[in-house]
Amino acid sequence: MVHKSLLIVSFIIAMLGFGSLPLQAQVKGLIVGPGAERFPIAVPLLKNLGPKMDDGKYSNGMADIVARDLELSGWFKVLDRSAYIEDSRRTGTALGRFDFRDWSTLGAEALVKGGFEVSGQSIVAEFRLFDVYRRRQIVGKRYTAEIKDFRRISHKFVDEIIYQFTGERGVFDTRIAYVSTGGGRFKEIYVAHMDGTERVQLTKNRTINLSPSWSPNGRTLLYTSFKEGKPRVYQRDLSSGKDSMFSSRTGLNLGGSWSSDGKTIALSLERRGNVDVYLLDQLGKIVRRLTKNSGIDVSPSWSPNGDRLVFVSNRSGSPQLYIKDLSGGETKRLTYTGGYNTSPEWSSKGDKIAYTGRSGGRFNIFTIAAKGGDPQMLTSNSGDNEDPSWSPDGRYIVFSSNRNGRYNLYLMRATGENQRRLTVSPGDDTNPSWSPRLD
Amino acid sequence: MGKQLISPLNSLILASFVFLMGCSLTPASKPVASSQRPGGTGQDQGSSTGMRSGQVTETAQSSSLEAFRRGQEIPSASRRSAGSPLKDIYFDFDRYSLQPEARQTLKANASWLKTNPSGRIEIEGHADERGTNEYNLALGARRAQTIKDYLSTLGITSDRLSTISYGEELPVCKGPGESCWQKNRRAHFVIISLGPSS
Repeated sequence: MVHKSLLIVSFIIAMLGFGSLPLQAQVKGLIVGPGAERFPIAVPLLKNLGPKMDDGKYSNGMADIVARDLELSGWFKVLDRSAYIEDSRRTGTALGRFDFRDWSTLGAEALVKGGFEVSGQSIVAEFRLFDVYRRRQIVGKRYTAEIKDFRRISHKFVDEIIYQFTGERGVFDTRIAYVSTGGGRFKEIYVAHMDGTERVQLTKNRTINLSPSWSPNGRTLLYTSFKEGKPRVYQRDLSSGKDSMFSSRTGLNLGGSWSSDGKTIALSLERRGNVDVYLLDQLGKIVRRLTKNSGIDVSPSWSPNGDRLVFVSNRSGSPQLYIKDLSGGETKRLTYTGGYNTSPEWSSKGDKIAYTGRSGGRFNIFTIAAKGGDPQMLTSNSGDNEDPSWSPDGRYIVFSSNRNGRYNLYLMRATGENQRRLTVSPGDDTNPSWSPRLD
Repeated sequence: MGKQLISPLNSLILASFVFLMGCSLTPASKPVASSQRPGGTGQDQGSSTGMRSGQVTETAQSSSLEAFRRGQEIPSASRRSAGSPLKDIYFDFDRYSLQPEARQTLKANASWLKTNPSGRIEIEGHADERGTNEYNLALGARRAQTIKDYLSTLGITSDRLSTISYGEELPVCKGPGESCWQKNRRAHFVIISLGPSS
């Protein structure tokens, strides 16, 4: 089934040619500061190196994915392909096989060239990243994969480009699980590539399904569903496509946030109207009750090192964020700005927490330092913006926004810059959850 | 542990049984609740005297989730509407406390429950669309429990009252603005069974 292609992908990656020193030494100041100029880069079509004819599926398709990812990253400005002057029929992809002047005259400072060969059920693709001014190859990689996974090759090379420029791998080979009405009335769980494409419907329960949450190994998803008439939490095995029950206690069973080691899941459970945060083991057994408050305590999110959890509580009279220290047991209030703050998510870098806050009658995404302080508002004057989820490298946030009418998923940098629409669907897309790095 | 609720499948069987017994039912496009005699409030005797021995009453109702799954209108029982003898309760934004009007409605609902001593109901807690799905599910749970606790103080035993929260997921009114939101911040009552005839 399709699920297999999400996970069991084998890539054979080889280094190509000689790479020079990483580019970040000279460009770091250009692209990593907030509000920095975007780095101009050219991404021509890939060259077909094999005998088999290609109608553009790979030559255009793979180049387009690289270009879009680079634009989504917020660090690059991809030069318009219609301005390219190189005659690719006369040039090659390797050093010495093309003229850097064809690219420097366009203002490109970096260049991505690639080629591919399809044979049987495999595709072999090579990608090279060049420093146009220094006329050097920065890095080259050759990938071998099943033909159906050709898009992931592009995404993986973008992660490599980002590594070369920033010293940290990109997150462009990851996925996002989310809830969509798909144009109908039922809310089902979907998984798409993080760029919003290749969406797959995971549930067909014909009911309300909510709050998907990835396990740290990327193999299972917890989700909340009314498929048996009551709100329960289920566990979906992504390779088999099968559901098992995770929590079916009387009352509300809701959400699910995994500790980084995958051993403990924080969940919201109800006893007689009172919703509290509990810790459960991988089999769904309660190991600890974290809140004993007579109000609402809901939506926990783990710190990446597992020592604390942030959650929502209305114990002060309105929903605010609180942090519970697991060893000391102390609970401290985090948010003091705004009268309604919910859906916290702890960044994978551990320093910040993103959340949804109500301001001026609308909902916006905020971040706040985990140690407390003034929040930063990342969205404004753009409808309602909710449900933030961090990328595994802590540099991006995916969220749901109705700025264009219906709710769609949007991407932005953790600074709030470069807000881009990810999904285009006939219904409402909400509750995104960003996967861990896969493979 | 709480009392086991009738599953959606069982309520469908309930409804089919009623149909087979030849009772008049509304057409499939309307919720079952509207088949009840109009003007029903706590003192209406009609619904209980209409039963024959061993028969399941036609006043068994669909839950909001069942109506939603079937593509029917989500049921609401505002005070002025004919239909269910148990009227909806409304709440302020982000609140689960009972306003004076809510208490009045609950007293009337309690009277009906006393007149139908074997009747069991499910209290649904709902919220308007503002705020996050998770917080609103918790809010709905609190609203349903507040109602259950209050009915208990009025003498209704808790084994007759079950609760469920649907959060913001099953609104009766779609669209932005307070006139819609107000209608959605509610508790809705579903008659699960009236029990055997006395």
